[in-house]
Amino acid sequence: MIAIHELRKQYGPFTAVDGVDLDVQPGEIHGFLGPNGAGKTTSIRMIAGLLKPTSGRIVVNGHDLAEEPEAAKASLGFIPDRPYIYEKLTAGEFLRFHAGLYGIEGEGLDQRVREMLDLFELGRWEHELVESFSHGMKQRLVMCAAFLHRPQAVLVDEPMVGLDPRGAKLIKSVFRRMSERGVAILMSTHTLEVAQEMCDRISIILKGKIIARGTVDDLRKLSGGQDEELTPVFLKLTGGSGLQELDDL
Amino acid sequence: MQAFTYLFLPAIWSSRNRVKQSRRGDFARAWVFGGVGVLVFAALFWGAFWITTQLDAYDELGDFLLRIGLSWLFLTFLSFLTFSGIVTALSTFFLSEDLRLLVSTPIAIRSLFYARFAKTVLQSSWMVVVFLLPVLLGIGIARCAPCAFYLTAVLAVAPFCVIPVAAGTGTTLLLVNVFPARRARDILMLMGLMFAGSIVLLLRFIQPERLLRVDSLPDVTGFFATLQSPVTPMLPSFWAGETLFASLAGGRDLLHASALWTTACAFTVLLSAASERWYFAGFSKSQEARKARFTKLQMLDPMTRLLPISIVRRTLLIKDVKVFLRDVTQWSQLLLLLALVMMYLYNFRVLDLDRIPYMGGVIKNFYAFLNLGLAGFVMATVAARFVFPAVSSEGAAFWIIRTAPIALRDFLWSKFWSGLVPVLLLSFVLTVVANEFLAVAPFLKVVTGAGIALMSVALVGLATGLGARYPRFAADNASQVAGSPGGIAFMIAAVSYILAMVGLLGWPSSLYMWRMTRVPFRPFRPDEIALIAVCFTAAAVLSLCVFLYGMRTGVKALEEMG
Repeated sequence: MIAIHELRKQYGPFTAVDGVDLDVQPGEIHGFLGPNGAGKTTSIRMIAGLLKPTSGRIVVNGHDLAEEPEAAKASLGFIPDRPYIYEKLTAGEFLRFHAGLYGIEGEGLDQRVREMLDLFELGRWEHELVESFSHGMKQRLVMCAAFLHRPQAVLVDEPMVGLDPRGAKLIKSVFRRMSERGVAILMSTHTLEVAQEMCDRISIILKGKIIARGTVDDLRKLSGGQDEELTPVFLKLTGGSGLQELDDL
Repeated sequence: MQAFTYLFLPAIWSSRNRVKQSRRGDFARAWVFGGVGVLVFAALFWGAFWITTQLDAYDELGDFLLRIGLSWLFLTFLSFLTFSGIVTALSTFFLSEDLRLLVSTPIAIRSLFYARFAKTVLQSSWMVVVFLLPVLLGIGIARCAPCAFYLTAVLAVAPFCVIPVAAGTGTTLLLVNVFPARRARDILMLMGLMFAGSIVLLLRFIQPERLLRVDSLPDVTGFFATLQSPVTPMLPSFWAGETLFASLAGGRDLLHASALWTTACAFTVLLSAASERWYFAGFSKSQEARKARFTKLQMLDPMTRLLPISIVRRTLLIKDVKVFLRDVTQWSQLLLLLALVMMYLYNFRVLDLDRIPYMGGVIKNFYAFLNLGLAGFVMATVAARFVFPAVSSEGAAFWIIRTAPIALRDFLWSKFWSGLVPVLLLSFVLTVVANEFLAVAPFLKVVTGAGIALMSVALVGLATGLGARYPRFAADNASQVAGSPGGIAFMIAAVSYILAMVGLLGWPSSLYMWRMTRVPFRPFRPDEIALIAVCFTAAAVLSLCVFLYGMRTGVKALEEMG
């Protein structure tokens, strides 16, 4: 569903992403882990069409992002780490605007909008301006928009930032339901517990390169551990003390 | 005191780092903008110098006019500084992002107040100081003023800037304790613009053109009485004007100079005390979430369905209109624009050109092209303020457009159309109504009508495209975008284009009109027809090129954005 081949991004002499290969199958939740500055967000932003790769190929639902950007983006939903949206639109108007960008209108739209708002527990906020929303509510509204057009693949950058435990639980269950329906989800996260709990496979990126890939068990074997949690496995593989991650937490 | 000094360090260090971090093109930009700055400085200096030397010829009347002129100049700045102080204080004292960090630190409110007040005074008054510098220099040199005049100027302008900004800051402190800060900003923006609009209309309705009529000489005394009435001895503008006027002639006006300094110090101390009492309550209130009230604009969706445009363009149009109309800081500026348009058209209404018996017709037709140029400048300004920031107005939410399955070309075209319709409407009102008031020849009505249509398309295309090429997504408001280097580059290009268009349309038209007036029965020679046709075609081609260049460069910049 999402296939990436030899993806590179260079900023002058600095290589942010260095020949990344990735393949996310329909129905799979694929975790994308790495320390700060490893290249996770740069990779996600390239797949979302926000950054132009220096080289490499990105294919979404069979469409090459460089050659057929509109067709590729039509199959994709994107949830950024910071939910910047139009503050002067109501939640309902924002979703209808989003639908319009994907060419969706007609009778079913209002029902779909309400369905998504209810799913993310924003139903009673449909007619309120986004500027009065909390960070978590904006985050959930962006998720409504990402799933509104029934995408085949979804990119998520740090999904749990700013969400309360109830919101985080809700998001996890929504992601699971979507993956059961065949949606491919590529999720970058710092929250290793979330990755361990939700992801079918995990790719670990360090200094722009994928250094490990597989299920949590595969990664344990790679690091030489047995019944360890994902955190020590991650630290062994990335060679960090973990302080960078602790800073973020 | 130590905290006060520390509070300035981020701004100083940021500026130092910006200077150190030079990028490609910075040198060229510095030359261009430095050059424009020097030109403006020279123009202001020369204007002040020329007017002062002209007034010198009228002895006592000249002195009187210079004195009134200084007081009026300072009165204008007094109102500007007060309003600027209100708006700037809202940002520096209550809405600035770094306040959450600063207020949580163990800094005394008094230190924070003095640091923020100094910042407010600097931010509000730098433009006034930059304007006054060449003007006062021009007046001083024209009058061969002693060195003490320039020292007095510095000593008078400093407290003069502090007083209105302190009054403005006090007003903000009061308002924020009554309304939430963001609501107060909206109310203030609206009030301020209505105030500015009414001042513009008031000045126009004084009818200064009465002075040009020989038959209304008795009115001159009345006119000066009108001018003098608002310059009351109780205002700091009067004190500043009097202090400077006295030192211009080598004297000293210690009374008014003392009034300036004591008032400035008293305002600062009182404001500091008020701030210690009410600042935290106001700041706390500005953090409170509020239930937003807004216009639903429910008719917009069904109305746009009648337009023959794609879903994507309709969606973008609805979003742009709603976002614009719900932002008070955006639409309220239209009130000021409306006041200016009314004043502009009123000027043509009261122009009594028939009083010039033989030249009336010629001057009317000349005015038709002058009007074309002026309407073009108005259009360029409107495009710089409303169309150029259109792409930047997406702000941090631009990721939504970029990740959506739409071509960026479609996005830019939607911005173009939503800018073109109001600009075209405005420019047609300006030219068609003014031409009707002037009763210009039908041929010129057609030429100027076609010219303004071409100019609207070209300028909106250029503004849209350059706005996409030089976006400022992090800007706080549209005025910041319009005043950015990209916005100034647009204005320079737009003004050059307008001048070329007025030349290309005006010259062959004057040739045609001259022939039709002087020798109406002689047919046009082929070379004359060819010359007129070449000029008109060149105007159309130039407009097309400007439009295409703007849109192409914009689409390319958006597609290459990384």
